[in-house]
Amino acid sequence: MDEQQYQTRAHRTLIGRIKLFFIAPFSYAKPSEFLAQEGFGDESSSKGLGLGGAPGRAPERVKRPDQMWNTLKRIWGYLATYRGRLIAVLLMIVAATGLSLLGPYMVGHMIDHYIMEARDGLLMMLMLTALIYGGQALSAWLQNIWMIQVSQQTVYKLRTDLFAQFHRLPISFFTKRQQGDLMSRASNDIENISSSMNSSFIQICSSTLTLAGIIVVMISLSPILTLLTFIVIPLMFFGMKWISSRTSRLFRMQQKSLGSLNGFVEESLSGQKIIKAFAQEEAVIAGFTERNEKIRLSGYWAQAISGFIPKLMNGLNSMNFALIVGVGALLTLWTDSVTVGMIIIFAEYARQFTRPLNDLANQWNTLLSAIAGAERVFQILDEPIEVKDEQAAKHLATVNGDVTFEGVNFQYEEGRPIIQQASFEVKAGEMVAFVGPTGAGKTTLISLLSRFYEPTGGTIRIDGHNIASYTRESLRSHMAFVLQDPFLFEGTILDNIRYGRLDASDEEVYEAARLANAHSFIMRLKDGYQTELKLGGTGISQGQKQLIAIARALIANPAILILDEATSSIDTVTEIKIQEALQRLMQGRTSFVIAHRLNTITQADKIVVLEKGKISQIGSHEELSKQEGLYRKLVLGQQLLEA
Amino acid sequence: MRTFSRFLASYKLYAIFAVSLMLIELVVEVAQPFMMSKVIDEGIVAGRTESIFLWGGILLGTTILAFGVGIIGSFYSAYVSQNFGYDVRQKLYESIQRMSSSVFGKHEEASLLTRISNDVNQVQNAVFMGMRIMLRAPLLVICSLIMAMALNMQLAIYLLIAFPILAVFLGWLMVRNNKLFRKVQEKLDQVNKVMQQSLMSVRLIRVFGRMSYESKQFQQKNNELRARTVATMILAELSNPVVLVLINGCILLMLWAAREQLNSGSNVSVGEIVAIVNYAMRITGALSMISMIVNTIARASASMQRIDEVFESADQEQDHAKNQSASSQFNGDISFTDVSFSYPESSLQTLSHISFKARAGSMLAIMGATGSGKSSLLQLIPRMVDPDAGVITIDQKRLDHYSLHQLRNNIGYVPQEILLFTGTVADNIRWGKLDATMEEVVWAAKQAQIHEAIMDLPQGYETMIGQKGVNLSGGQKQRVSIARALVRKPSILLLDDCTSALDVETERKLLDAISKLSCTVLIITQKMSTTVRADSILILDEGQVIMQGTHEQLMLQSTLYQKIVESQWGKEREAQWTNNNIKHELTAP
Repeated sequence: MDEQQYQTRAHRTLIGRIKLFFIAPFSYAKPSEFLAQEGFGDESSSKGLGLGGAPGRAPERVKRPDQMWNTLKRIWGYLATYRGRLIAVLLMIVAATGLSLLGPYMVGHMIDHYIMEARDGLLMMLMLTALIYGGQALSAWLQNIWMIQVSQQTVYKLRTDLFAQFHRLPISFFTKRQQGDLMSRASNDIENISSSMNSSFIQICSSTLTLAGIIVVMISLSPILTLLTFIVIPLMFFGMKWISSRTSRLFRMQQKSLGSLNGFVEESLSGQKIIKAFAQEEAVIAGFTERNEKIRLSGYWAQAISGFIPKLMNGLNSMNFALIVGVGALLTLWTDSVTVGMIIIFAEYARQFTRPLNDLANQWNTLLSAIAGAERVFQILDEPIEVKDEQAAKHLATVNGDVTFEGVNFQYEEGRPIIQQASFEVKAGEMVAFVGPTGAGKTTLISLLSRFYEPTGGTIRIDGHNIASYTRESLRSHMAFVLQDPFLFEGTILDNIRYGRLDASDEEVYEAARLANAHSFIMRLKDGYQTELKLGGTGISQGQKQLIAIARALIANPAILILDEATSSIDTVTEIKIQEALQRLMQGRTSFVIAHRLNTITQADKIVVLEKGKISQIGSHEELSKQEGLYRKLVLGQQLLEA
Repeated sequence: MRTFSRFLASYKLYAIFAVSLMLIELVVEVAQPFMMSKVIDEGIVAGRTESIFLWGGILLGTTILAFGVGIIGSFYSAYVSQNFGYDVRQKLYESIQRMSSSVFGKHEEASLLTRISNDVNQVQNAVFMGMRIMLRAPLLVICSLIMAMALNMQLAIYLLIAFPILAVFLGWLMVRNNKLFRKVQEKLDQVNKVMQQSLMSVRLIRVFGRMSYESKQFQQKNNELRARTVATMILAELSNPVVLVLINGCILLMLWAAREQLNSGSNVSVGEIVAIVNYAMRITGALSMISMIVNTIARASASMQRIDEVFESADQEQDHAKNQSASSQFNGDISFTDVSFSYPESSLQTLSHISFKARAGSMLAIMGATGSGKSSLLQLIPRMVDPDAGVITIDQKRLDHYSLHQLRNNIGYVPQEILLFTGTVADNIRWGKLDATMEEVVWAAKQAQIHEAIMDLPQGYETMIGQKGVNLSGGQKQRVSIARALVRKPSILLLDDCTSALDVETERKLLDAISKLSCTVLIITQKMSTTVRADSILILDEGQVIMQGTHEQLMLQSTLYQKIVESQWGKEREAQWTNNNIKHELTAP
């Protein structure tokens, strides 16, 4: 980097050091260079941790005005619930603005007439002015706190909606999205909306009002001085245009870099173990540095250039002040149209005049970024949700447990079938084992039964009725799952097990844990059932998590049991016990098991062999091991290894 | 706060320069009403045009000067604050990367992320503001006061009345708001955590049909956040109106006094009154800025405290290696002598008095019940954790003889949980050896039995995987992470139950490939199909080695091992197939 070069040189001599002092702040790559280089495509978001770019945010779409209006309308849809409050806020804004204009006028008036001319009644005027100031302060406070209440309610609603939406979206949605990006929408973007809604609405209204008010008062006082004040407007306009045309791109760039850094950090934190074990800290830090530098570069320019705004405003303000005082003084001398009091009032108004313009410009930027954030949130809210339950969907009250698949097809994409013509029948209480090579579609088949995915063809029946005719929630309430990943959440072990049935008593939880052989290890933990599990699941082993997940399934007491490779990371010693527990659990329940181990499979009433999405064999262990086919090969493979 | 000044120190001169530039601006600004009073008194009241031109000209000239100075200052302030933010982020991230596993485990990932991004930004903005207005506003107030007092002490004294009250009020507000903002930030953390967690367990929530329950939980947290925010903001928003009322009250008092003084015929000029009123109005403006600053500081220092917490907790992995000769290849002889280990927060010993040896190039299978300490044992070798007692050696030298870098570079580790990163398949494999050629990557993939599956992917090795990419199956991911370990051609390969999702056939091929490599393999497994191939088997129970030997030895000696074998295959099936099929299968490959 340029800068490092300067720094090494700087360490040598005093002159070098002095030079560095004056050069360093101006030695960054010019915005035009890196903006052009970077582009706004998503090419940088396609690379991964440690090596290339970053898992950045989704590429920003170009915003069209009508789209922006739609977003604004939707935000208004949220706000409209609090219409009454908003009207009150608006009234307060009008009051505060009016009073804030009246204050300086009263002071000027008092100086001109009550002090210089020494009229009577100053006390009355002073008290009146005090009331005006008091009213201004009160209404300013009220407008703010009412607005904050409204905006926080809105943000609350938006968050809740987003949360609910996440749980209505089809599962396939989550396999396509980076979790960091979704989180960023739920946190950063909503925070953005929240903070700008707190201030923008009020600022924009009151700035516009103040501006209009000031112009009216100024014109009525002295058209000549007003004209003088207006000289700064074109200067301001061009200055702001010059600045914001640069900063808007720089800020977007900064946000993008920040998003990319976030994604990078998120992933590297969750992969910390791997980073350590592979001694790749330096490589990861280098990756971080690269992104951090990007933030610094765009941040530097964005901040420096946007820092011009107050300087410009101040400069114009002072210039205005000088003009009013100078020209005003001359006018006082040469004509009668201007008084000293007027100059004071004008000087004050001129200061107040540029401020709302400045605020409007600032708020416009904030508003734009909030709208961009809102758009990202609405994008999620607009995603098609998991197919709705049919209108006539019934509540599934009781389940016996007969399950039939009839010619079931499934594909994520046209032309790439995952499941083809799957047909089989399971009687209530039977145990079915699914066997097949990795990627044959075992997990998908089970996901279809629980309606995570809808089959693209064929029907699945429970007790002879199409499962599509029932509501998903009632359907799933009769199933319990022990999935590949145990999915424990943060909270105590007690809570985690009770998640299977929320109204279970502590005793029932202990009982379920005993059945799952989890009780003894839990009791050996320092805090027993009150042990807090962490998000990453540190503290207890993978196998222990599985045991807890099994206890959770046990307590749910379902008619249908689904085990997805659940037993594969539990050690053999525990598994022997688990097998007994599962035997008991499977009694009277229909069970679907994905397992790799023969001993699990051999106990199954029915074995379904899957190959590339098709069922190639169905039968009992005894039958299948006599047939030529994949199953026999699998069995033999294991057998061979033993010998 | 000491961290704060430490980071700022590197840019001290730049910051001082930026602040001095700001001071020049300030002087100009403060002098303005003074010049105005000159225009009025010497120009209007005295009726002299040239005075008006003179002072008007000076007014205009200084304005342009202030503008120029302001622009330069903008660059310096941006330089300081951006570099400050850069440094804090960098150091924060580096110290997180260098934390030992146990300290890292104490932090929540989501919260660390917020600290690196959100909190650093807050502080960085406060630094920028600090140079631009934080000093400016109080100075403006003080200078305006001094100027006002210089103009007319008797009048200016009225402005002073409000200040002690204001100082106490704003001081109280700052302390109070700091606490409140910290609470808000905590609540926000909680809301984000619930959100993140529910995103992670979307499937679980769905299979248990717990949507409404989760929503209720979330709404509760969300509502707490809302209430907290509103309560904090109501207080924060109070500062401005209070300042307004107090200062404006003073102006009115002063006006009353001015009238009295004029009446009593003391030497008060109209120009002075006007100028003092103007100063008072500027003070009002500056004070409302101060109340904003108070809130910013309160917020930023809450953030800084959160950053400090990370720095304070950070430690360094112990690495005082005597031997720094970096790239020497290990033979791979591993020996544990009487090794004990326990996690700091737990009272139980995870491993106690473990002793075993693994020859270079041999394969050691580790079996044991859930929670028996198998994973911890493997983690001791790359020094992810350090033992409490006992000696671990590689090639007859203690582990701390090697630098962490050298040690870990010789080890290929495949953890139980699958951790792949966003990027292409090739990127992920190359992670094990950053400068690996494509041939090496393909070689590793072939050894890990994943090459063909990769070639079936839409873009082969260039297919994106990880959070945003193609969804690989569990077994495929496991093999990619095995390839990642193999690509570095390690002397020691640690496999932590990472073949669980593989089918028998694939597993066999994988183990065949691994056994051909010249490295010591420590593999945690539950599968007999693996243990039968091992040179030695270690059975752990509750942190102790209860049995050690070859498959044959254990079959004879250990009833537990026999029971395990039995449970995996079952006696009669064993008998049924062993005889008829071995020959056929042996000749096949």
